[in-house]
Amino acid sequence: MSELLRAERLTRYFKIGGLLSRRTLHAVDDVSFSIGEHEIVALAGESGSGKSTVARVLARVYQPTSGQVYFEGKPLSAIRSRRDGLRYASLVPMVFQDPFASINPVFRVQHGVLRILKLHRPELSAKQRLDEAARVFGVVGLGADMLQRFPYELSGGQRQRVGFAQALAMRPKLILADEPVSMLDVSIRIGLLNLMAKLRDEEGVSILYITHDIASARYVADRLIVMYAGQIAESGPIEDVLTTAKHPYTQLLLSAVPDPMAPLSQVTDRGEPPKVIDPTPGCRFRWRCPLAIEQCSAVTPALAEVQPNHEVACHVAQTGAEVRAFAS
Amino acid sequence: MSEAHEILEVSGLSVDYLLPQGPGADVRAVDDVSFTVDRGEFLGIVGESGCGKSTLLFAVAQLLAPPAELTAGTVKFKGTNLVGLTDRQLSAIRWCDLSVVMQSAMNALNPVKSIGAQFKDALQAHGKPSKEEIAARSAAVMQMVGIDPVHLKSYPHQLSGGMRQRAMIAMAMLFTPDLIIMDEPTSALDVVAQRALMVQIKELQQTYGFAVIFVTHDMSLISHFSDRLMVMYAGQIDELGATRTIFGRPLHPYTQGLLEAFPSIHGPRVPLKGIPGSPPDLAMIPAGCRFHPRCPHAVERCTVTAPDLYPVDGDLVRCLRRQDGSLSSREEGSLSR
Repeated sequence: MSELLRAERLTRYFKIGGLLSRRTLHAVDDVSFSIGEHEIVALAGESGSGKSTVARVLARVYQPTSGQVYFEGKPLSAIRSRRDGLRYASLVPMVFQDPFASINPVFRVQHGVLRILKLHRPELSAKQRLDEAARVFGVVGLGADMLQRFPYELSGGQRQRVGFAQALAMRPKLILADEPVSMLDVSIRIGLLNLMAKLRDEEGVSILYITHDIASARYVADRLIVMYAGQIAESGPIEDVLTTAKHPYTQLLLSAVPDPMAPLSQVTDRGEPPKVIDPTPGCRFRWRCPLAIEQCSAVTPALAEVQPNHEVACHVAQTGAEVRAFAS
Repeated sequence: MSEAHEILEVSGLSVDYLLPQGPGADVRAVDDVSFTVDRGEFLGIVGESGCGKSTLLFAVAQLLAPPAELTAGTVKFKGTNLVGLTDRQLSAIRWCDLSVVMQSAMNALNPVKSIGAQFKDALQAHGKPSKEEIAARSAAVMQMVGIDPVHLKSYPHQLSGGMRQRAMIAMAMLFTPDLIIMDEPTSALDVVAQRALMVQIKELQQTYGFAVIFVTHDMSLISHFSDRLMVMYAGQIDELGATRTIFGRPLHPYTQGLLEAFPSIHGPRVPLKGIPGSPPDLAMIPAGCRFHPRCPHAVERCTVTAPDLYPVDGDLVRCLRRQDGSLSSREEGSLSR
């Protein structure tokens, strides 16, 4: 599998407080990962862990504070002209969380798709644009008659399909999907997840699937990256990570997933997210971690491979000891 | 279950949203819903958005605001019919005997008042407690939900999402009510905080013996916590029974579909189908069984006859083919895990 996008030591800080404040929020701190062609990578973590910031840096909404993103081998910082920027935006579009807020309510749904086609694929004639709009609607499972509807006539699931159709109209290589199903009803979600798998298998698109729902990540994704407090805690092939989770936070996350088929696991953690304002060195999970050792409060653990392709940032796991912080 | 154990008895409850076009255009959001809640019981209500579950809660708590109107039925709480009571009569019951925890703690708490000041407001609205009594009771309920009482001085924005929800629950317990109604209190939280809150609610319920009506769209969330489960679809009860029975052997095709729509982190990765189509618009309810356009087992009479809630194996199920037993286990094979 060849590499499509690589993020190297990506960092994004936000200054907080008043004008004279020197406090910074470390939303994303020294994060490196890659996304291959034709693969769905799930980025999981609690709210405030920096997963949406990663997506926004990849979409060039935010400039990274430091670090670099390479897309097809070329650094994003080399994009200077509007033309290059547009080209990148069309190759790496975003699909947003809230399908009720992301479509303009005063226009028919075709408006968005046609505008995208006009902007990003100017070679198409008006007739070809309409045909192409109908084609991408077909791919996401909407009839061509939907093009003429207004957003209020569509259900949440249909709207989110419009979001994917708009992304698809740009002929993307990588779709950044930020919690695309979390606002939808459970009976609709599976359809969208199946659509994402179909886009990967039939259209050859890669997807960065940002979610806090591990079970849905397992359903569609090939690889899983778990983020905690702006850093990557663990990453690897999804089945590996789920069956042999090495990081205590991953284990905590897995033990809290509601599963009617499994017996209730005992979780004592309160789920208080950490604040990453002006952090000091050390593992950011150590306050919640039952296994924390002295080293954890002194040295920030780096990601290291513990199994083929399976990386974890935990001092205890890296010694080769068996980590059983939270039973799932 | 004898009468004395029932704390809430809802019968024939219907709520309409009255539209300016006249009575013909009214939308019935809750249609002839009857159920009971026993003292100390945990009743889970699940359904998709627009199925009427929140409207039902509001109707039970007598919090409906126009254009919603309770058009039929009674809500008997500890023997008193709440329907038709004046605001003054209701306010004696609300919070003291029956309290409500709203969905979004961020919006339900007053952002410009400290948590303690909001507790004080509630306490003073129902009596004339002294300063010391207010301080003692506020600290006590904060400790019950596991928050350090120093946070009584905090403002809502200074607390995390999980702590805000806990503060809301603490507030609902100020007067040790007999029934707490919760409308998706965990939906804004991540899985870890969500689990911790559920465990806490269950512990409090077992310690203090209040009954809980818990509304959620996430069936798997309450699988380990609720005693009985009520599944709603398009304003009606589709299935009502013991939680473990329903999870073990769901009878209504909609309940089966809902259970099938959850991917699991255990076992083999199996392709799931979900439920085709989307929930009906309550202004355009299909004839016959309301679920028939999405039901894999629908037969012709399902499109004509509207089913009642039938008792089947100790549960109540709104399905014609369950009532006459014509839904064979072979047909079900495609659905059950």
